[in-house]
Amino acid sequence: MAVLEVKNLTHTYSGNTPFINDAVSRVSFSAEKGEIIGIIGHTGSGKSTLVQHLNGLLKPTEGEIFVDGANIWDNPKEIRKIRSKVGLVFQYPEYQLFEETVYADIAFGPKNMGLEGDELKKRVLETCELIGVKGEYLEKSPFDLSGGEKRRVAIAGVMAMRPEVIVFDEPTAGLDPGGRENVMKIIHDYRAATGATVIIISHSMEDMALLADRLLVMNKGRLEMFDTTENVFKNGGRLREIGLNVPIVTQVFYELKKSGVPVPDDVFTVSRAVEALKAIKAGEKYA
Amino acid sequence: MLKDITFGQYYDSRSLLHRTDPRLKIFLLILLIVFIFIANNAFSLGFGTLSVISVMLVSKIPFKLYLKNMKAILPVLIFTGVINLFYGSGEELLSIWRLSITTGGVYRAVFMAVRITLLIFLSSALTYTTTPNDLTDAIESLLSPLKFIGLKSAVHTLAMMMTIALRFIPTLIEEAEKIMNAQKARGADLENGRLTERVKALIPILIPLLVSSVRRAYELAEAMECRCYNGGEGRTRMKQMRMAAGDYGVLAAALIICGGITALNILL
Repeated sequence: MAVLEVKNLTHTYSGNTPFINDAVSRVSFSAEKGEIIGIIGHTGSGKSTLVQHLNGLLKPTEGEIFVDGANIWDNPKEIRKIRSKVGLVFQYPEYQLFEETVYADIAFGPKNMGLEGDELKKRVLETCELIGVKGEYLEKSPFDLSGGEKRRVAIAGVMAMRPEVIVFDEPTAGLDPGGRENVMKIIHDYRAATGATVIIISHSMEDMALLADRLLVMNKGRLEMFDTTENVFKNGGRLREIGLNVPIVTQVFYELKKSGVPVPDDVFTVSRAVEALKAIKAGEKYA
Repeated sequence: MLKDITFGQYYDSRSLLHRTDPRLKIFLLILLIVFIFIANNAFSLGFGTLSVISVMLVSKIPFKLYLKNMKAILPVLIFTGVINLFYGSGEELLSIWRLSITTGGVYRAVFMAVRITLLIFLSSALTYTTTPNDLTDAIESLLSPLKFIGLKSAVHTLAMMMTIALRFIPTLIEEAEKIMNAQKARGADLENGRLTERVKALIPILIPLLVSSVRRAYELAEAMECRCYNGGEGRTRMKQMRMAAGDYGVLAAALIICGGITALNILL
């Protein structure tokens, strides 16, 4: 059974603008346990609006969201319980840090869920282990950390709630390559450790190719494609039409193929590219 | 949500008053308020009331908006009205314990209430027809004589501070909304609980907001320095304020109102 199911979700921002525009229009999809879904789309395509519905921060104008088979708006008073089931890490989450110590900040979420005493401590320490924050850091002020470290602590703050579904809105924005890799590794490790479903919004097609099992493509508030990462990236032409692209390595292979080199057209990651090139080289040797 | 709170009440209805020089508008506001308080009999105050109503009509601002501003001031209005009832001499109408309401008191109370109402309507006419930026520019310009008494940089600094404060209100509201959502996503409960719990629930919002405001202030200061900002000296404006033909018309109309009030004061 799908952990998360979105049916016909429509959201209209009620503003005093003369343009009545659906930020999200009739989007349906479902996520299975343990899979990683990437959401891509140009700026303003409704990605952020879409994910804010998943934990009940926004109420859909139309449509339903089911978590573990239950409609999350069946009981509006219990909506806070949904937020520990579906964790949401916002863009630039480091701006939400507020406690005196890293430990206390990571403990904020689980405490809100009602965890106390040893259980709370165990939960926080486990999470720190997962994200590689070492002992002495726990007593530091989060405001003394570097940008990348702050980001990791903020992500840990949501992971500490052990959500079954964890959603990231551009988790690597504004980080250096080392920091990006680190955040991607944390996300990967969290899923490996907990079996959670992961949903990531990103503008990096390379990151998506590495991590995502399936890709959800948004265009002007509508669902453009929802398919395996491979099938989506095979549609490079359509992606470019809506302001997106395929990973750079795929673009390189596309050009190679055009100039007559017999390469496969399903190369989306660097490691896959290396394999493909090795195979060609080996083939030439015996030709 | 939070974004719907309007600060600065500019309402774009493109009237004559919108085009009037903001410096003149501030000056005339003060002048007319003084004359409304000078009006000392029913006829002159009545004339003042009619004049204010015509100003409101000229502004093309819906009357509803003027009333909205009255709502906030209503307690003050009632308070001054009631206090004034007990002052004044004349025939006694009603006496409660050692307090007595007299005709003179009623007269004073009504006068005071009308004056305060007119004052609010007039200042609303100013804020509805002038953008906050125009207002600060005008204040800077009107305060500029202060530079002759050694407060040269203070005038410009003050105006710049006001402009920046106004500019950042929507930005900070947006920021506050983002932080609130982020903390809600971490299970923070902002809606329920006893008063003490609710106050405590504000800490996770206020601290990040404070931190980011300080950060923004530093960034803004740096950006301003990068563009060689060094205070008001030698700085020119993109929008020059100049009195135009229409402005003299507005000035003349205001002077006629003042003259009318004075005449009615003396004659009746």
